[in-house]
Amino acid sequence: MLPILQAVLSGILVGGVYGLLSIGLSLAFGVMRIVNFAHGDLVMYGMYVGVVASTLLGIDPLLALPASFLLMAVLGALQYRIVFRRFVGHTTLNQLLAAIGLGLVLQMVAQLVFGVDARSAPSIFAGSYDLVGPFFFARAQIVAFLVAGVATIGVELLLRKTQWGKAVRAVADNIEAAEIVGLRSQRINLTAFALSCGLAGIAGTIMVTYYPTDPTKGFTLMPIAIIATTIGGLGSVGGAFLGGIFCGVVQQTTAMLWNSALQDVPLYFLLLVFIAFRPTGLFGHRSE
Amino acid sequence: MTAGATPEGKTERRAPTRAGFLYGFIVAALVAGLPFLPFANDYFIAVAVRMLIFIALGQAWNIVAGIGGLLSLGHGVFLGLGCYAAGILFNEYGLPPWLGIWAGGLLSVAVALVMGAMTLRMRGVFFALATIAVSLALDQLARHYVDLTGGDNGLALRFLGNSLWFMQSRTPTPFLYAGLIFVIAYYWITQWVLRSRLGSEMKAVRDDETAAAAAGVAVFRTKLLGLLLSAVMTSFAGTLYMQSYQAIDPETAFGLSQAIQLQLPALIGGLGTSWGPIIGGTIMILLSESTNWGSTRLGIAGVDILVYGLLLLAVVMYAPKGIMGLFGKRTRGVWHS
Repeated sequence: MLPILQAVLSGILVGGVYGLLSIGLSLAFGVMRIVNFAHGDLVMYGMYVGVVASTLLGIDPLLALPASFLLMAVLGALQYRIVFRRFVGHTTLNQLLAAIGLGLVLQMVAQLVFGVDARSAPSIFAGSYDLVGPFFFARAQIVAFLVAGVATIGVELLLRKTQWGKAVRAVADNIEAAEIVGLRSQRINLTAFALSCGLAGIAGTIMVTYYPTDPTKGFTLMPIAIIATTIGGLGSVGGAFLGGIFCGVVQQTTAMLWNSALQDVPLYFLLLVFIAFRPTGLFGHRSE
Repeated sequence: MTAGATPEGKTERRAPTRAGFLYGFIVAALVAGLPFLPFANDYFIAVAVRMLIFIALGQAWNIVAGIGGLLSLGHGVFLGLGCYAAGILFNEYGLPPWLGIWAGGLLSVAVALVMGAMTLRMRGVFFALATIAVSLALDQLARHYVDLTGGDNGLALRFLGNSLWFMQSRTPTPFLYAGLIFVIAYYWITQWVLRSRLGSEMKAVRDDETAAAAAGVAVFRTKLLGLLLSAVMTSFAGTLYMQSYQAIDPETAFGLSQAIQLQLPALIGGLGTSWGPIIGGTIMILLSESTNWGSTRLGIAGVDILVYGLLLLAVVMYAPKGIMGLFGKRTRGVWHS
């Protein structure tokens, strides 16, 4: 029984970061109906921000979190201006393909700049473990979980409590009505997309403190983020975080009870089950 | 029926003209004559074979995506099933690929049925996500069950030498003719679908699902039939791929760059047209061979993927109707909704 509990607890910790990977994705979908397959590649760039900070500048990757957020937000704003602006409103198949194309370009640029070798950027917490009763946790993962939780709560507060959040939700609900009452939808969408990409940057930099990166990491991480977002309810930020935790728990318990090489297979199956029987996810409201 | 009366429908419902038939015949005759050219060597023929195989795979994807409007990002699943089924049946049981090709086709039908039944009632984005999930699941399974699939290293056919019964050859030339037969057959299937009632219904569903349902089209059944046809075609071409390359591995079957290579021919050439994948596949392979040649000389890897990414972006942003769209009448892009 104890090992299973340990797997569940580790799953929650790992899953918090999966949640952080997913909330930006869910935000872009909720506001603009954009499924950004290139989101994972921004996470990968965020990981390289951590690597650059620790190897070139010699500072702890955790201190690079704000820079990573800003850099990826700017990169995201550029992507929005160049590519995604024309696809706002409903998910089109052209939009999905454009995002995949963009992801490939980002991945190959990273490969040309950083090479194919795996790189890591341990923080001061790397290698320390905490024992709580019979359970042990990697301290880097606890820190990552806390950052993920704070980021999720912060985004939820931004959306619910601020004037900007109100505007974003108005544009998401009905873009024409929002424009009639004087909201500038393109500008609001741009900021929402930049925030979504900035979150990807944070997720990457926090992950690289315990998980090495290489240019294909974006594509490796993307499926989990998609599954977490769908299970949480496409478009729901809090749902995506909980969906991430759900994925983490399923993955870790599978790895323990069945086989760690097949740890993601039940998740893929769960995605199909959710699509077939509950496409609004666990926490989604809108019937799509 | 109102459903077939879309602009695309009208232009494509014509029977192929005599001129179209003539062009097709000339192109086919030129391809068939390639080995007799004085400068033809094995590399030259192998590139032509690769071209034909990817044209056939593109023609299969074009059925579900171009005519049916369903974005399958995981057609590598059916390619992989066609490869692995033929390879495993031959290596383990000594059965010829003449049987393996049907095994792969049946497996593909089964997988497509399950996948389609679970996702095709939902909006297109869910189908797209599900196709990715299925290909990733097969990827992990293929890597894990090493005894059956060879794991990460993949599966190599036991080589027997020239044998028609086991579809093996020391030179690529026989596969040139096999590939040509595939492309011609798939061209005719595409033409048939475009002119059939099924094709009209698929296009109606693609252009406006609600309107199609109101006009009496069985939307779910139409989508499912399109997916099944496309899956079988991909799997058959997969077996040809296996026999020609004599090896398959999980990355080649289920990986992202393969999924892109299955989509680009139809996207470049023109979605939903019968000539689109033929033109697009030719361009894609020529481009890929030349960038590979250039990048090995410069010593940089992965330039072909970069080119694919840029090409994908350029096509969906600036030419959603592909090359055929540049020649044809000005009509809306296929995927507008």
